[in-house]
Amino acid sequence: MTEVLSASRAVARPGARRRTPGQRKEVRRQALIGWLFITPFALVFLLFLVAPLAYAFYLSLFTKGLATGTEFAWFSNYLQAFTDPAFLGGVGFVLRFVLVLIPIQMLVSLAAALVLDAITNRFARFARLMIFLPYAVPAVIGALMWGFLYSPSFGPLQQLFDVFGAQAPFLLSPDNVFSGLVNVVTWQWAGYYMIIIYAALQGIDSSVYEAARIDGANAWQLAFRVKVPLVANSLVLILVFALIGTLQFFTEPAILRPIANGSISASFTPNIYAYTVAFSYAQFNYASAISFALGFIVFICVFVFLFATRKRGSIFA
Amino acid sequence: MKKSRLALAVVAAGSLIASLAACSSGGSGTSQAEHATNCTNKLMVKSAPTVTVWAWYPNMANVVDNFNAAHKDVQICWRNAGQGVAEYDKFQTTVSANKGAPDVVMLESDHLTTFEIQKALVDIAPLGGNKIKSQFSAGAIKDVSSGNAIYAAPVDGGPMALIYRTDVFKKYGIKTPPTTWAEYAADAKKVHDAGGPAFGDLGSNVPAPLVALQIQKGAVPFVYDFAKDPKKITIKVNDQASKDVLDYWAKLSQAGQIGKQDQFTTDYVSGVVNGKYATYLSAAWAPGYLTGAGVGKGADKGKFAVAPLPQWDASNPVQVNWGGSAFAVTSQATDKKLAAEVALGMYADSKSLTEGWQKQIIFPLNKSVLSSSEFVNAKVDFFNGQTANKDIYIPAANAYQGTPYSPFETYYYAQLTAQIAAINSGKISGPAAADALQQNLVSYAKKQGFTVSD
Amino acid sequence: MTAISTTTARVRAGGKRRPRRPRNVVAHLFLGALIVYFLIPLWWLIVASSKDTTGLFSGSGALWFDGGIHYLSNLEQMFTYQGGIYLRWIGNSLLYAIAGGVGATVVAVLAGYGFAKFVFPGRDFMFSVLLGSVMVPLTALVIPTFILFSDLKLTDTIWSVILPSLLSPFGVYLMRVYIADAVPNELLDAARVDGAGEFRTFVSVALPLLRPIVVTVLLLSVVASWNNYFLPLAMLSDSNLFPVTVGIGVWEGLATANNGGGHAIWSIIILGSLVSIVPLIIAFLSLQKYWQGGLSVGSLK
Repeated sequence: MTEVLSASRAVARPGARRRTPGQRKEVRRQALIGWLFITPFALVFLLFLVAPLAYAFYLSLFTKGLATGTEFAWFSNYLQAFTDPAFLGGVGFVLRFVLVLIPIQMLVSLAAALVLDAITNRFARFARLMIFLPYAVPAVIGALMWGFLYSPSFGPLQQLFDVFGAQAPFLLSPDNVFSGLVNVVTWQWAGYYMIIIYAALQGIDSSVYEAARIDGANAWQLAFRVKVPLVANSLVLILVFALIGTLQFFTEPAILRPIANGSISASFTPNIYAYTVAFSYAQFNYASAISFALGFIVFICVFVFLFATRKRGSIFA
Repeated sequence: MKKSRLALAVVAAGSLIASLAACSSGGSGTSQAEHATNCTNKLMVKSAPTVTVWAWYPNMANVVDNFNAAHKDVQICWRNAGQGVAEYDKFQTTVSANKGAPDVVMLESDHLTTFEIQKALVDIAPLGGNKIKSQFSAGAIKDVSSGNAIYAAPVDGGPMALIYRTDVFKKYGIKTPPTTWAEYAADAKKVHDAGGPAFGDLGSNVPAPLVALQIQKGAVPFVYDFAKDPKKITIKVNDQASKDVLDYWAKLSQAGQIGKQDQFTTDYVSGVVNGKYATYLSAAWAPGYLTGAGVGKGADKGKFAVAPLPQWDASNPVQVNWGGSAFAVTSQATDKKLAAEVALGMYADSKSLTEGWQKQIIFPLNKSVLSSSEFVNAKVDFFNGQTANKDIYIPAANAYQGTPYSPFETYYYAQLTAQIAAINSGKISGPAAADALQQNLVSYAKKQGFTVSD
Repeated sequence: MTAISTTTARVRAGGKRRPRRPRNVVAHLFLGALIVYFLIPLWWLIVASSKDTTGLFSGSGALWFDGGIHYLSNLEQMFTYQGGIYLRWIGNSLLYAIAGGVGATVVAVLAGYGFAKFVFPGRDFMFSVLLGSVMVPLTALVIPTFILFSDLKLTDTIWSVILPSLLSPFGVYLMRVYIADAVPNELLDAARVDGAGEFRTFVSVALPLLRPIVVTVLLLSVVASWNNYFLPLAMLSDSNLFPVTVGIGVWEGLATANNGGGHAIWSIIILGSLVSIVPLIIAFLSLQKYWQGGLSVGSLK
């Protein structure tokens, strides 16, 4: 993160350690102005992030049974969550999903970005826009579309296989639902990640390329040994976002549940489980604990990931 | 200067707070029922007080108009808030938020207890409920009651029977529809071995009929009396009868003799149309549903017939029920007496009931219809003119004794759905699934504070 | 394949040119494959919107027209169904997206400016908290926000959807990073020396320099609000307040449950999906040059 030193310089004259009363007043005034600028955001932050989270945490310390009233229960909800096979099953799924989806997504995005960086004609510009377009489609509608496309009776996949007289695999069957979902999410998000990598690639000074070319690098080497390391920061950034987002997987499986023939259960992902527990079983205390437990797992995963990539260029050398 | 910035900040914060306050105003008392501006229908008497209703009957628009035309003292403001679980989740949310529930809500009987225990429903026995008891069978009243309290006005039921494809039966040499489950399994094998279509379907998203079939064999999954002791419950979903039924269906599914498709999906409906399922074990409202979905209109016209539900013991038949709904008055209703009047009077007039059963939308439980010769002798189009009511559905409805429900039926169904899905994937056997379910439910009930016995 | 020999020179700061690249068949094929992959569902949507319900389920080619083009009659049915509620839903989506998007952008640009250009105690701490909060998923917040709002009796109102959308920590982050670089302190000092108030300085000196990032954050916020599903689903039960995402979901539920035997509505669900994504696509296409520039700065740091 860049340090913003210039702001402080505007306030204190260079070299001056002791401040005159006038300077101190100026410093205070600047500080107050700064606070005022961030006040709206601070308000929103407190009201819609801190307050709900605090309240949810408070709720998660109580239990409310159907047959009993609300009782204070310390951390028993958390104990229950971490020993709840439904929750743990969901966690296992999203972890496995992350391990498969993210490399695939990154590969597609990175490859597309590199190619688009190299080719600069109208076709490439059109391609860039088309790849990004799914981002503009709400996940609920994307899932609806894919639901139709996957339909064993009406989808084009089945119709294609019909030509050969074969039975197309149902991509939402218990065996295939994993791949079916990987496909839907890649389609939805690869363009977004691609644009970020592409923008970063665009920011590279082309004198670097000149130098590499003089050294005799071919296109592949240029891509992997020059470009990729230079955009490593962006890659880490979007990997973190992808990680956080994917561990919170909710919308697509929730929409596809009705047509998945039971492959997608009420506890398929931790977020779906939290939603079911809250809105179908009306147990908001336990649902809050599940959300926090999930948040905790997300935090651990991100921490581990950032720790593993702390020397930014190292994994991309 | 500093002032302008400060002023802006104050204005921003102030407007935020003002808008928050403005929108929470208007909350009278502790709850806010759904406002009556949200009607799908048109009010006929604008000066009368309105009662809001959530219902999903296909002909509800006509039912509402019939009521509104006949009443000057109250008008119904109706909308469709979803069907089945979708509406239940929405209703549950309004109950949890104590805001936004309708005055009258359509609920299937298996979900009444869930809301009774949350004190979300009003006992309408003293508000006119007692007067209608004589119009319904004992089973029908039992399903909406808890002790002496009546929590909903029954409208329709779902006596179960065996719908089948006459052309498929003919093609594979099945002369008469199976009358026992042993015959059903034998027929399924026969058709499967001859390369025929799936004999039936075990959909994971329809746990309710499977529970009904378990009860048919004598299972008593729950013993729960909300009126007597709301904290005590007996759970037994892995007794021999339950295990046997799950085992029966698991074997059929895992042998590939029946389908595994979720029902009420376009894929399932297209399967029914194309004869991919030889039988459909369903309730009396099924023909109406299927007709609405486009079944029986094209090449499959006239190819459906209905037979009584197969039995385990032909000499001792047991009839069961799937679905059927009732109108309950919610505790958030602004005028409970008026809401009860609506709940008891809606879909109770002969005009609405006649339209309901003639279009096969509902199987009415009202005795006046059940005993009318028109209804009894009706020739059902979907079944190629068969007098399905007289032969099949009315006897089934009359013999129905009611079903034991739990106060966490949503949870129970979700767990059973997961087990059926596992059975369909071949991951678990029927009896093992029953045991897993029992363990799951007992532990859940204990956590919810119930005293559980098995 | 046509010779792709003319490479357009891209002008960036400094006006450097890229050297010519030779034709690369593999790369073009790859791009072509990607285009097909990403466009197939949208193509399906366009084709399927032209069919009526019989055509949809008749088993004719899913990816091609079936001889009956019913756009107009489907449009008519969609806009009149349930008393024209679809238009209401689109209106709601616009309201939530614009109010939420503009609001979030205003809040973010103010906060980003404050973080970037001022020193005050707790600034770095707050910024770290902000960065940490980007990790908190909005979905995890929906349930507690719902409980909080229901205690305040704010559920089932437009504010229950708009207010939480004002929160955009990532927007603040992008703003801060961009503003730190793009707005030279010398300019600000000059304005202050001239006697301009802080807010005046912000509006007349800093803001004009921030157009790319403002448009980027605005677009990202508007998209996030428009596509929001979980939050309005939980908060709203009055169907007149639904955004189009939740509305289409409700119609789909109705259709799956067979619309209770009423006429089948799959064709308007599909057309409704198509129409609902058109505004965003238009927005993206027309504001291309802004957001592509904005995203680049944010990601470099």
